[in-house]
Amino acid sequence: MNMAMNTTQMKTSAGTAAKPAPGSIVFDKVSVAFEAAKLTAVSEFSLNIAPGEFVSIVGPSGCGKTTLLNFAAGLLPSGAGRGTLLVNGKPPVTGSHDVAYMLARDALAPWRTALGNAELGTEVRGVPVEKRRARALDLLEKVGLKGFENAYPKALSQGMRQRVALARTFSLDSPILLMDEPFGALDAQTKLQLEDVLLSLWQRERRTVLFITHDLSEAVSMSDRVIVMSSRPGRIIADVPITLGRPRSVRALQKEPHYHELYAQVWSKLEEGLSQ
Amino acid sequence: MTDEHVWGSGKIWAARLIVLAVFFVFWEWAAHSKLIDPILIGKPTGIVQYLWQEVFVTQSLLNDFYWSMGGTMIAFVLGSVAGVLVGMLFVTSPSTEAVLNPIFTALNAMPRIALAPLFIIWFGLGLGSKVAVGFSLTFFIVLSSTVAGGRGVNPDHITLARTLGASESQIFRKFVLPSAVPVIFNGLRLGLVFALLGVIGAEIFASEHGLGQTLSVLAASFKTNGVFGIIFLLSMIGVGISSGMSSLENRLLRWR
Repeated sequence: MNMAMNTTQMKTSAGTAAKPAPGSIVFDKVSVAFEAAKLTAVSEFSLNIAPGEFVSIVGPSGCGKTTLLNFAAGLLPSGAGRGTLLVNGKPPVTGSHDVAYMLARDALAPWRTALGNAELGTEVRGVPVEKRRARALDLLEKVGLKGFENAYPKALSQGMRQRVALARTFSLDSPILLMDEPFGALDAQTKLQLEDVLLSLWQRERRTVLFITHDLSEAVSMSDRVIVMSSRPGRIIADVPITLGRPRSVRALQKEPHYHELYAQVWSKLEEGLSQ
Repeated sequence: MTDEHVWGSGKIWAARLIVLAVFFVFWEWAAHSKLIDPILIGKPTGIVQYLWQEVFVTQSLLNDFYWSMGGTMIAFVLGSVAGVLVGMLFVTSPSTEAVLNPIFTALNAMPRIALAPLFIIWFGLGLGSKVAVGFSLTFFIVLSSTVAGGRGVNPDHITLARTLGASESQIFRKFVLPSAVPVIFNGLRLGLVFALLGVIGAEIFASEHGLGQTLSVLAASFKTNGVFGIIFLLSMIGVGISSGMSSLENRLLRWR
């Protein structure tokens, strides 16, 4: 995917109805083994993620969810993964501009202001100053941090810091977002707020999201599909389509019966996997 | 701190001054009444008289002060620039570190003051020898803090940088270097104090000019008031250096 085209697309679609951006992820019989630790993290994992789809992977800790994400981000040591993995039609490469990666911890640079952190990603990827600044300011406003542009991370709460990390991630042009439990460290209230922030950002551009979590309610409330994995070596136990409308509000969903049905369905699948 | 058991700063200063006044009055009295021989401890009034005379009237100490400070500054700047550069080389090239580190550790283990006579033979009695001693102390302190700072980079930052596609030089400039700065700063503050120590130490051995040289001449002729005067001056310089570095640090590292 070429970046220039992607950028123009984003520009024209801002505000109007968003077109799905390119960005499929295809796992075909992917196995990951770490020779040194004599450990098979994932075996024969196959999954097709369509462009613009929001897919969550849930499963017990150690089931290889993060390993799959790291494989897609090109972070695994070479030779660890087998099978075919195509990210935006290409084998995964570390630092590919097709991918924006968000970690469980905010990874903010304490020596940079909120604004400086929001434009860190685009700065590394060589976006010109004016453009990246405008985009960072826009995103900081959208994540609810207007007025905090010049605050250093030490002055921000955990929730605010993760908002800055969201702004940094969404500043990037990448059609694919890989998220590794980005809200795992937050308290329940803040988590709900940030889930809604993430959904509203995603709703505008409909980029592909692969979201790793062990929080079922988070997975069900945000995703188009929830993939349930077994414990190690991780396999897919269930692929549950989430038939809730869009745009959604995570907080409003808490009172919706259909959401709770889906939650129960995913939960029973996860339980099956654990009892096997 | 707003602990009600702690006095306000005005009261604390007043108490501090009283403690010092009592101490000096007792000292003066002990020397005056020959309770302790003034040859051993001097006399506060004598010390003040000496400093007044040499700083404001003959101004001979000013000349020594400039020589010592000049030497300290040169030793500090050379030592810390070299320390930061070599430290960064170690951080970016682990094999270089593997080769050189044990050698440097051995060099650093040498009592540096013992090298002063050798440096005096090599560089003479002027600036060269004192700068060399100061440098040899500052360099290793700044080197080890730079290496520690460079190693202390947050692994999350490296993961993030790699997924962003950052080049090695970007990782270094945007992540490793800024996160190392606070630790390097600690090294610089210590390095400056040790540069002063090295310079004064070398001067005490042998030198044409400098506070250390004057100190050793005064001590050799039992001018205790002068010795105390210079010690007092040196401790003031040390305090000035430390607080200057701290305020610079607070200004540059506001994000902490």
